[in-house]
Amino acid sequence: MSGLFSWDRFTAAARQVFPYLPVTFEIVAIATIGGIILGLLVAFVRLKKPPVLYQICTVYISFMRGTPMLVQLFLIMYGLPIFINPIFGLNIGRTWDKIYFAYVTFVLNQGAFLSSIFYTAIKAVPIGQIEAGYSVGLTELQTMVRIVFPQAIKTAIPPFGVDFVCLFQNVSLVFSIGVIDLMGRANAFGSAQGHMLEGYVFVAIVYIIISFIMRIAFDWLNRAVTYGKKAKT
Amino acid sequence: MSVNLDDLLDGLKSGIAYFPNTVKLVFISLFIAIIIGGIIALVRFYNVPVLSQIFTVFVTLYQGVPTVVALLIYNLLFMSCMNDVFAFFHSSKTIADVDTLWIGIFALSLNAICSVTESIRGALESVDFAQNEAGYSVGLTKIQTIRQIILPQIVPVTIPPLTNNVIGLIKNSSIVSVVGIIEVTQGSLIPSMVDYSFFEGYLAAAVIYWAFSIVVEFAAAQAEKHSGKFRRTI
Repeated sequence: MSGLFSWDRFTAAARQVFPYLPVTFEIVAIATIGGIILGLLVAFVRLKKPPVLYQICTVYISFMRGTPMLVQLFLIMYGLPIFINPIFGLNIGRTWDKIYFAYVTFVLNQGAFLSSIFYTAIKAVPIGQIEAGYSVGLTELQTMVRIVFPQAIKTAIPPFGVDFVCLFQNVSLVFSIGVIDLMGRANAFGSAQGHMLEGYVFVAIVYIIISFIMRIAFDWLNRAVTYGKKAKT
Repeated sequence: MSVNLDDLLDGLKSGIAYFPNTVKLVFISLFIAIIIGGIIALVRFYNVPVLSQIFTVFVTLYQGVPTVVALLIYNLLFMSCMNDVFAFFHSSKTIADVDTLWIGIFALSLNAICSVTESIRGALESVDFAQNEAGYSVGLTKIQTIRQIILPQIVPVTIPPLTNNVIGLIKNSSIVSVVGIIEVTQGSLIPSMVDYSFFEGYLAAAVIYWAFSIVVEFAAAQAEKHSGKFRRTI
């Protein structure tokens, strides 16, 4: 039991592992930007209900919400080459870096989750607001951009914050498909040294700190977007 | 486009064979989480001195740790310390006598406690505090008030967020495969090891999880309807 944890090894692991933090941020950033675009598109499909697309979107959201992240990652990693190869004649299973599969998975995953958030947020805007927009002669797009969005954002920010912190934690799974992020590096360095614990503990601490900062940031953002609303007394 | 249906079917069969393990992981963790999470929520809601602060700090910090990281740490600690712990208690057991499933349940429970306690606390806050006072005014003790007045009211409010927690738990339960516990994810892959049909294996796992989530969601919707019966609506 002695020699399980040593501060020397901890600092050594920290120095090795910390430089890989940007990999995590990179995946989070791409997943969020891609997810917002995809999520908005899917949310509009759900609002407008075009025949076939609507059913596809429903199945897509249900699938992404109902299956584990780990399984989705592997499905994309093994599945994407199977579907791309015959069509484009590219063997991306060999040529792509593993991180691209992580990007694709997380964008698809976030697209589903964010679309639900956007959909409920847009639905939460009273219909009278939209009618008011039309009545003063705004087009549909103008009403959306100038009347609905500013109000919907307020509803969307709290669940978005929760989802964002969740995404950040989920990204720690990418090491299982072979992407070298914090966890992947901690694993590799740990096995080389024969002492895994220090690396893992360091990763846990980094995640705790960043999640904590994010939560404070979103609390602040929540307060910042309460514009146009009289404070409850 | 080469999805082999036979492989998919083999994966499904093998995955379903290990389905009980996933059910155990999910529901034992959920049971533990509801009991401990409920207690923590009550402690925090009624502001029990010291304990309330300790739990708040614990929940806030622990929510920041990804399940994988926590699981790997527990697994490592278990592997390196458990024999010493048994020796300390003069027990003749060794690591080999303990089902590794329990490491998964331990990690998942701790994770679930944090999310469940937040759901229950949210529900507690949704009940008008005057309900407590009404309970005291007719001579009920604090425990009686909680049990007879507050709990029946929070049940229908808790079910939707709790359903989300259960779905989260189902999905998180696949992570335990990282430490070598065989459940649906690993189970579905067993036939894939023979002919490298990993896509079909993971697809089978996805289908099983998907079906499980849909069933749970449906059951929860029924439970919500049932438990909210007493509410008068227009």
